[in-house]
Amino acid sequence: MRPEIRALREAMRRADYIAEPSIVTAVHLARSMEKPLLVEGDAGVGKTEIAKVMAILMKTELIRLQCYEGLDANTALYEWNYQKQLLRLRMGSDGPEADGPATAGGDPGGGPDDRAHQLEDLIFGRRYLLERPLLRAITRDEPPVLLIDEIDRADEGFEAFLLEVLSDFQVTIPELGTIRATHRPLVVLTSNRTREIGDALRRRCLYLYIEHPAFAKEVEIVRAKVPGVSEALAAQITHVVQGLRARRLMKPPGVAETLDWARALVTLHQDHLDAEIVAETLGCLVKDRHDIGLLPAEEIETLLAGARAG
Amino acid sequence: MPAFAPAAPAHERELVAHLARFSGALRRAGAPVGLRDEIDGAAALRLIDIGDPEEVRLALRSALKIPRRWWRAYDRLFDERWRRATLPRPARDRTARRTPRRWRGDENSEAPLARIRRQLGERAGGGATEAPDRDGDRPGYSPRALLRRKTFDECTPDDLREMERLLARLALRIATRRSRRLAPSARGPVVDIRRSFRRSLAHGGELVDLARRARAVELPSLVVLCDTSGSMDACSRFLLAFVLALRRVTRRTEIFAFNTSLTRLTPWLGAGDVVRTLERLARNVADWSGGTRIGPCLLAFADHHLRRTVRADTTVLILSDGLDRGDTESLETALAAIRRRARRVIWLNPLMGDPRYRPEAKGMRAALPHVDRLVPAHNLAALEALLPMLGP
Repeated sequence: MRPEIRALREAMRRADYIAEPSIVTAVHLARSMEKPLLVEGDAGVGKTEIAKVMAILMKTELIRLQCYEGLDANTALYEWNYQKQLLRLRMGSDGPEADGPATAGGDPGGGPDDRAHQLEDLIFGRRYLLERPLLRAITRDEPPVLLIDEIDRADEGFEAFLLEVLSDFQVTIPELGTIRATHRPLVVLTSNRTREIGDALRRRCLYLYIEHPAFAKEVEIVRAKVPGVSEALAAQITHVVQGLRARRLMKPPGVAETLDWARALVTLHQDHLDAEIVAETLGCLVKDRHDIGLLPAEEIETLLAGARAG
Repeated sequence: MPAFAPAAPAHERELVAHLARFSGALRRAGAPVGLRDEIDGAAALRLIDIGDPEEVRLALRSALKIPRRWWRAYDRLFDERWRRATLPRPARDRTARRTPRRWRGDENSEAPLARIRRQLGERAGGGATEAPDRDGDRPGYSPRALLRRKTFDECTPDDLREMERLLARLALRIATRRSRRLAPSARGPVVDIRRSFRRSLAHGGELVDLARRARAVELPSLVVLCDTSGSMDACSRFLLAFVLALRRVTRRTEIFAFNTSLTRLTPWLGAGDVVRTLERLARNVADWSGGTRIGPCLLAFADHHLRRTVRADTTVLILSDGLDRGDTESLETALAAIRRRARRVIWLNPLMGDPRYRPEAKGMRAALPHVDRLVPAHNLAALEALLPMLGP
């Protein structure tokens, strides 16, 4: 194992992120090759967490762009500050010579066309630009971590728009010209695979698919993240959760659910599992009416029997 | 941090050639690996310990962007072509630069070049080690054994062209759902401040007229499951032509054919006219005009493609006569799963053109509770009636 990869794994572990080797390798490559990392996997396997942990490790800012249907360039990239522009325009029409730098020492008798151009240059300057997450990410002095969350929720058109930003780390604003990144941010894109991500975008990224963690790993995660949970309880919890995942549920529980459940049990001062407490707290784990219907009392007993044996 | 190591010594060139061969093998197995991915792969190899096969496996899987469903094939090929092949290693001790000849002598009795050649089974003769595979960048989907091939000689090109023309006009009706995205429009409800402001500059900052935006019209997305078994032969061509015409007014159309197994047809839906596309499809579907196993095929769709292709705004069309002697349980499970996810499930049945027809075939009866509409599909008029249902 490459020393840098080992060091990264240890650092992530210290930040309470118990990572599989595939995750550490992919993050190392994304950082060294300066390429975005596309992370896919079921809900709750810790996709978003990668960006958060990396921001902590790199001691830098985490800039997050949550995608949704209808997300457009104005919300993601930049917007002009219209109120300020209008205000300036009002002031300008009263007396543009008052503080227009270009006209200060020049010929006050410049034609009306000249004055209009100067005004236009002024109000379409950086001072009147509102930076949204993508633009903010490439104009920071310190390279931040840019998290583009749930890219599959955005329209397909938005993906195409992301291509310019992610392949060259530059943004073109018609009124201003092209702004280039001084430092490339570490970009993490996540997708729940509710739709296929376009090939063009996928090709520009490195790819990571996170699966549900193996038994020992998940026990380790529970113990690291939930203080006050005993080893025996953590093992029982993990056993039940992994048993649930093996069934054909609509919404199988992710690691996030495991942790929620473990915290709930610790809050209730439980040191072991029984059928009663599982039935009462099942809502932490299974969040679909259809799925709950598939888990009557005897099913829970079977799961628990397995947990006690294992 | 430096992205790339500056020099490319001999062992590295060899490594790249080996990577090219490995990528070629992946492509032949069907995984979508392009030239650009290979370049990323080569860059990744410089950043990891290539003496650690597990690390190489994970790094290449990420850099070549191998989708989840190809992982098993990838692991198998990796074991065959990479793990067992003894690869050139960079000198561990960076201060002492060893020549290739040196490490060839001290670590392996056999020259690595010869070893790789042997491992690859002398696939490509003498000069193969230097030349990367010539597969290029094309997607390498490999169809399964083609059991029977058939052309569409019965359907005249004139018929199809006429229909295409008619459908192109009709099909515009289905595109009526409004998206949440706002697009410029002459008389929309939302004021577009940016454009208004831009315009106002012409009047010296006076907002004379307002630019507006409205919710954009969203094109529907379709998933079509087409039965190409013998009993459907007379109509499947016709129905496929219909679907191909629809493709122009939909945002996204995925087409699957099923008979005894399920085949994804979308990769073959290139540009070009309907007639040529249909010929291409017929060539690429195994067992065209064979028997049917509707249930297992739909279950295969639900298991492998449903999540990817069907969204809340997707209409699923099933073109089949429902004549299936297989078990109905899998059919019901599959349809229930599809319906939970899709906006609407419409079953097109060509047999319904006969007024005496009752949906009494075992498969059809089982399917009925799980579809939103069962509609006839025996002539163009029936398809015309279908169009409004594909919209919102």
